[in-house]
Amino acid sequence: MRSHLLRHLPFAVVALIALGLRTHDLAHRPMHADEANQAVKVGELLETGRYAFDANDHHGPTLYYAALPLAWMRGQHSLAALDETTVRLVPAIAGTMGVLLLAAFAAPLGRWPAVAAAAFMAVAPPAVYYSRYFVQETLLVTFLLAALVCAQRWWRTGRIAWAIGAGVGGGLMLATKESAPLFAVAAVVALLAVRAHLPATRRVGRDILIAGGTTIAVALVFYSSFGTHFAGVRDTVAAVGHGWNRATGDSGHEKPWWYYLRLFTWQRSGGLVWEQLAFSTLALIGGVAVFFSERKLLRWAAVYLVVIVAVLSLTPYKTPWHAMQLVPMLSLLAAGAIAAMPVGWMAAVVGGIVLAAQGFQTNRVAFVYPADERNPYAYVHSSPDVRKFRALAETALARSPTQPVRIISEEYWPLPWYLRGLPRVGYWSAPPDDCDGALVIASVGQAGAVRAKLHGNYREALLGLRPGFVCSVFTPASP
Amino acid sequence: MKRSFCSLLVLLATAALVRAEDKVPLKLDLPKPLFAGTPRPISLPNLEPPLVGKRPDLMVPAGTVLLSRGKPVTSSDSLPVIGELAFITDGDKSGVDGTYVELGPMVQWVQIDLGAPAKLAAIVVWHFHSQARVYHAVIVQVSDDPTFKQNVRTLFNNDDDNSAKLGKGTDFAYIETNAGRVIDAKGATARYVRLYSNGNTSDELNHYCEVEVFGQLAK
Repeated sequence: MRSHLLRHLPFAVVALIALGLRTHDLAHRPMHADEANQAVKVGELLETGRYAFDANDHHGPTLYYAALPLAWMRGQHSLAALDETTVRLVPAIAGTMGVLLLAAFAAPLGRWPAVAAAAFMAVAPPAVYYSRYFVQETLLVTFLLAALVCAQRWWRTGRIAWAIGAGVGGGLMLATKESAPLFAVAAVVALLAVRAHLPATRRVGRDILIAGGTTIAVALVFYSSFGTHFAGVRDTVAAVGHGWNRATGDSGHEKPWWYYLRLFTWQRSGGLVWEQLAFSTLALIGGVAVFFSERKLLRWAAVYLVVIVAVLSLTPYKTPWHAMQLVPMLSLLAAGAIAAMPVGWMAAVVGGIVLAAQGFQTNRVAFVYPADERNPYAYVHSSPDVRKFRALAETALARSPTQPVRIISEEYWPLPWYLRGLPRVGYWSAPPDDCDGALVIASVGQAGAVRAKLHGNYREALLGLRPGFVCSVFTPASP
Repeated sequence: MKRSFCSLLVLLATAALVRAEDKVPLKLDLPKPLFAGTPRPISLPNLEPPLVGKRPDLMVPAGTVLLSRGKPVTSSDSLPVIGELAFITDGDKSGVDGTYVELGPMVQWVQIDLGAPAKLAAIVVWHFHSQARVYHAVIVQVSDDPTFKQNVRTLFNNDDDNSAKLGKGTDFAYIETNAGRVIDAKGATARYVRLYSNGNTSDELNHYCEVEVFGQLAK
């Protein structure tokens, strides 16, 4: 019993570190527009119990449904009551589970390499940053790892329960993001490339059919909003088209092919250096070493990673949260390099140095500069100023109980999150005929037109929505 | 009599209804926010209309010279993470990386010691101009006392919510441009110039590319 506990202690320590990094001071960073957008959807789901899949600019519903039990546990039953910590706990918990799932997936490498793989993922800057960020990417990675662990167990044991488990993981991936098939295809390509031994069962076809059926069933359950909105299932077809157009078309998020490689090597921005050189070098060594070893798992990870890096790099649409997809297999390869070291003390020293370097970067990325535009993961991030809008609106509504708060701007997220629960708040993308209100917030680009339509005296101040996007705030002058 | 009593009752009831109607809450049909995708990392037309023509000249006394070049600078943040305090008076106002100093979050100040009392004509400040941003609570003070406890005069203050706790200001906030902000010193005589700010519309940090103080050394 004691030896059993001791055997699992390193995994427990890594999991605790992962959880701590992912849950500490979750409300510290202002809400990104995407987080706010999705948190408002959670609020609507909380209040009405209804969710309808929207194929335009939105991903699958698992994120929203996963937030419900956390909100209930924290006594939050409306959008107004919901807070940043609640919604961000969803990816934080999923991210911690992902670390443990990677350890399970790496188990065939041995205990210490599995611990090392989990530890590398636990402290990786993109993994920590996006596990504190209310978007789908962390859930997608965790469901992928769950599917992989189940598939791996099925391959070795031939038990149908593992095939069903893999199907559930695949279904949750599909219900999380429309890009899920890419990772399934990459996994199959890698499997074919490494020429793995045959699975332990003779009923491969049957098991794969059952797993596939489970995947589709789980995805249908979510996209149909648990059988209450079957149009959502139809809209998933449109979502694939939207996703393809976004990935290949003029999305405004096009970047050079080396974008992801730079995130994992070195870059300098505004005097700050961001790097993962030690980690990437170790993973590269591990990637090269797989061709001199018989470890099929590591070979599979190397091929899978090459496929994913190639597809993501060649796709014009790039956002930094996709970097999260590279972390598990890079961690696995880095752990492979550690395992290949001839002496234990060398492995411990190298592993320690890499973890320390990654930990230093993670501290800056997630805690020191979490919303700074120089932070490569803080992508088009909201300014800290967004927190000031609510106090202004509350004061204005108290002073003018019948007048509205008007937000007139071509872009206004995350303001609907920060102004949640307040009465008489309206949003316009262009100035309406009547612009007057208890408080008028206009983008500087539209402030001139709004100013011309205002009656009476207003004081004017300037606040930021995000770097480079400034809002004029018109407050009626005291008589 | 009975009829007129009934009429009176009806009138009173109507009046009461009208008064009650007066207090019916105003029903507003306000548009809800539209759900949108990830904002694009591009420069939106969210800029102050560019100044048409040349900025009006600030008239200063003949013989006015630049007094601040190379003068020592101190700050509430004595160890900036990015840049050096000396950048503030080194003459390089290009604004590119390596030419500005970054001070920490919250209210921070920088102070220039002109070396001797001077009759000041103008102070020009460039915080950061490679992006449309506004610095909050910009306050410019002068004094003969390096601790700014005595004979402090405020030349500019746009701290409309008194976040710097130096008193509310009525000057306008402004968007940073490469033209800098020209502040009329109105002939104030002082040896020290101190500039405050409290973060900006992009982040919570405080930046300075350059500060130039113009005037004539006091006789």
